[in-house]
Amino acid sequence: MTSITAYEPGASQLLMGNEAIARGALEAGLGFASAYPGNPSSEIIGSLAEVAREMDIHVEWSVNEKVALEAAAASFAGVRAIVAMKQNGLNVASDFLMNLNLTGTSAGLVLVICDDPAGLSSTNEQDSRPVAKWAELPLLEPATFQEAKDMTKWAFELSEKIRNVCLIRSVTRVSHARGDVRLAELMPPGRSARFAPTMLGQFTPLLVTLKHNMLHQKVKQAREAFETSEFNWYTGPEKPELLIVTCGSGWYYSLEAVRVLGLEESVGILKLGTTWPLPEKLVQEHLARTEKVLVVEEVDPFLEGNLKELVGDVFSTLGPLTFYGKRSGHLPTVGELDPDRVMTAVSTILGRERAVDADYAKKSQELTQSMVQNRMVGFCAGCPHRATLWSVKNALKLDGRGGFVTGDIGCYTLGLGPSGFFQLKTVQSMGSGAGLACGFGNLGKLGFGQPVLAVCGDSTFFHATIPALINGVYNQANFTLLILDNSATAMTGFQPHAGTGASATGDPAPSVDMEGLCRSLGIRVEVADPFDLQETTEKILDFMRCDGGVRVLISRRKCALVRAKAEKAAFKVWVDSEKCRGESCGCARLCTRVFQCPGLVWDSEGQKAKIDEVICSGCGVCADICPASAIIREAA
Amino acid sequence: MGLEVKASRELQAEVLTAKLCSLCGACVGMCPYWVAHRGRIVSLDECNLTQGRCYVFCPRTSLDLDLLSETLFGSPYAADELGTMQQITMARATDEGIRSEAQYGGTVTALTSFALEQGLIDAAVLTASDENMLPSGTLAASAAQVRDRARSNYVAAPTLAAFNRESGRDDVQRIGVVATPCQALALAKMRASPLENRNNIDKLKLVIGLFCTWALRYDDFARFLAEKVPLGQIVKFDIPPPPANIFQVFTDTDRVDIPLDQVRPFIRPGCDVCLDMTAEFADISVGAAEGVAGWNTLIVRSDAGRELVDAAQAKGVIETEPLPEQNLAHLKEASFHKKKRGLKKVVETTGSEENLLYLKPSSQTLTGLLA
Repeated sequence: MTSITAYEPGASQLLMGNEAIARGALEAGLGFASAYPGNPSSEIIGSLAEVAREMDIHVEWSVNEKVALEAAAASFAGVRAIVAMKQNGLNVASDFLMNLNLTGTSAGLVLVICDDPAGLSSTNEQDSRPVAKWAELPLLEPATFQEAKDMTKWAFELSEKIRNVCLIRSVTRVSHARGDVRLAELMPPGRSARFAPTMLGQFTPLLVTLKHNMLHQKVKQAREAFETSEFNWYTGPEKPELLIVTCGSGWYYSLEAVRVLGLEESVGILKLGTTWPLPEKLVQEHLARTEKVLVVEEVDPFLEGNLKELVGDVFSTLGPLTFYGKRSGHLPTVGELDPDRVMTAVSTILGRERAVDADYAKKSQELTQSMVQNRMVGFCAGCPHRATLWSVKNALKLDGRGGFVTGDIGCYTLGLGPSGFFQLKTVQSMGSGAGLACGFGNLGKLGFGQPVLAVCGDSTFFHATIPALINGVYNQANFTLLILDNSATAMTGFQPHAGTGASATGDPAPSVDMEGLCRSLGIRVEVADPFDLQETTEKILDFMRCDGGVRVLISRRKCALVRAKAEKAAFKVWVDSEKCRGESCGCARLCTRVFQCPGLVWDSEGQKAKIDEVICSGCGVCADICPASAIIREAA
Repeated sequence: MGLEVKASRELQAEVLTAKLCSLCGACVGMCPYWVAHRGRIVSLDECNLTQGRCYVFCPRTSLDLDLLSETLFGSPYAADELGTMQQITMARATDEGIRSEAQYGGTVTALTSFALEQGLIDAAVLTASDENMLPSGTLAASAAQVRDRARSNYVAAPTLAAFNRESGRDDVQRIGVVATPCQALALAKMRASPLENRNNIDKLKLVIGLFCTWALRYDDFARFLAEKVPLGQIVKFDIPPPPANIFQVFTDTDRVDIPLDQVRPFIRPGCDVCLDMTAEFADISVGAAEGVAGWNTLIVRSDAGRELVDAAQAKGVIETEPLPEQNLAHLKEASFHKKKRGLKKVVETTGSEENLLYLKPSSQTLTGLLA
């Protein structure tokens, strides 16, 4: 992949939305960037990290989003800074954010939040935009890739103008899709960073009401800037029969819907890039020219609500208005939108026949499906999580006291499905596995007798598990914390973290000793090799049986994909079809039916298991689950 | 009627979940799904087959006593208290060393060792306990190994898992099993199984049955006992005849007596529905000779059993005495009571004399007991 600095100024290049955001920051003279990886936001800081040395700027993977935002407040020292996070990450950062808004900044500080409508790679589909209203910070929503870049660049200017954080909200289809972007010149940052508070200009939220009042003034300033923003535009007739007000990903869908329906002459589209605070005058002008308004946005009716709030203030100046959207039931209130859904809404509102096939979306989906291999969502071939969860499953079954796993966020979250043998019974937020275990682990006197096994990944451990672990130790909760250490933030793209010994920029970094850290709490800490199924199962059993207090078992094996980049496969694995019992009593296809590593496939013609040599990573674990010793593992 | 053929899911529902499991181990050691762990049979994953050895071999599923009896003895099930029987005597090992180490008369140890030495069998599946008193099946290939394990074990053991695991070995062709009644039943079911997979049952040449009234659950009994005696020091258990009503635990230096009433709560629920006290489907059955110290009761059932006992007697490995009339009467009474109790429990469980769970109601014995 070409780096985001490699393009010639003035050229038009194909960029991923997240790369466009990163590029925009570099064109704005960025000096500092931080994030905790989380899809769909990861490539923003990821692509900046690749060029950090070249641009001589600081780019880091922080341990969590709150720290990332706190670090990015290096903008206090006159350095333009960007911080990116997914919607869940915003929640982690919000404690700091809700004070930072009162504190303000000096140099530009841009917080990019990438939402994930339909939760394609998330545990929720939270719409983060209300934070703008809550924190009273200006909000920009790019609809195109060009805008993603240009808005980011402008966000720094706005941030400096109002001396406060500026928010950019993207969604998966903007962040992860690619489009043409016209580039401008890169701007190197200044080299005179210095923290220089004044007596009145201290970076604290005190005196609260005074600062709160100042915050209101900043919002007013932002609103004024938004009234003339180039990111808001209208296309359509002077007096539209129906006015679509839309933002972000909704704009393309609306555009396509109106074009496909051939309604350019009767339906107008007001596309807003500055969605909070609303550019009220601009919006009012457009509302005055129509009687019907359809609001198209993902996910919640945020814009819709704000428009209605505005109408409530100025209704005497407007004609009769009917609003359509999520609250009227014309658009879905969950999941992603698409042109098809918008077409349905528009044609229903206008009482027009839909000019397109009702199965349009379904057919296109089927066509796409026919082009890709049908594969279950699950762990990769050779993934250490599959092996660990196999042992977890067996240990819990053998223990027989109804023990269960409290889950967490990472690749291993997939352990709630068949790939992890349905072992994770809870999944909420980062660090919640251990947090939940703190509660369950103290229910002994209320009749609770089930062993509790909390899991977390290595990156999640540093992110949010440590406080829960300390809480468990202090409050003497009875649970085992199983750290699935695959030495990477694998789910989001193998980013390094505090324990990997490498920085975001690929330079050597101190590696935080996870075991030493846990041992310092005075608890039992051991390491298991997940590929040794028997030893790991026995250790988990033993950890569960040794009731009382918190104990930590680290199941350590490098992520199969990370390993494959650096090392050759450890084993050559093949199936001796003479020995393979297949579907007969004594096996019933344990490997391909239950263990389900994608590197093992069922040959329905020969009625035997076989290795898919292209996919097999050579971990050799399946040799240990075969009851007939038919899977042969040879040193490669 | 034949043996009903189902599989793993039904075994879980009809036996494990229904708490009928006797922990014989017949379902374990054949596949990756069923395992024994600390006194429990555990299904690690769901098997999707509709026909499985696990279900067919289980002594708590579809028990066609007539079919088993025909298969083993060539005659319908003997509808009396003690099952098919060619002879009943008292017996004991002539070797005093064996007698002193073994339970009662040492007849089982002597006969098993003898069968190995004579080449009637080349391996014996026995039960041995580890330092935590956890018993499991083990393979003995020599008289010395047999003598090492010459102890009665009151904790239920999945011994047949060892038969299932080891019977596929090429160096093992003629196997003997020292079995509790439920284990002997399972082995008989393996012999009568209609399944294509014979489970190497043709290698089974000898079953020495042990009298059994009940067996204990491992996990909580071990916890209970550990509070009284260090488990690693236990060398032997015994239950002296009534009216003692105690459970004796021997260490090398000491003996701890526990009231039997404190031990009974640890009896496996699967024993409550058992009708077989004397291992009726073994080649020979051996138990205590009540009130006659140092002697066993020995029941010869099959021709193979007859030949073994005759040869052992001829070689002076064991000696026999007639079983006193009063002992026989007591034995019959005790065995009859176990059948009646078991049947009553079954009927209590199902609420109907028409549904006898794993028992075939057609058998005359059962009809008689119900009356």
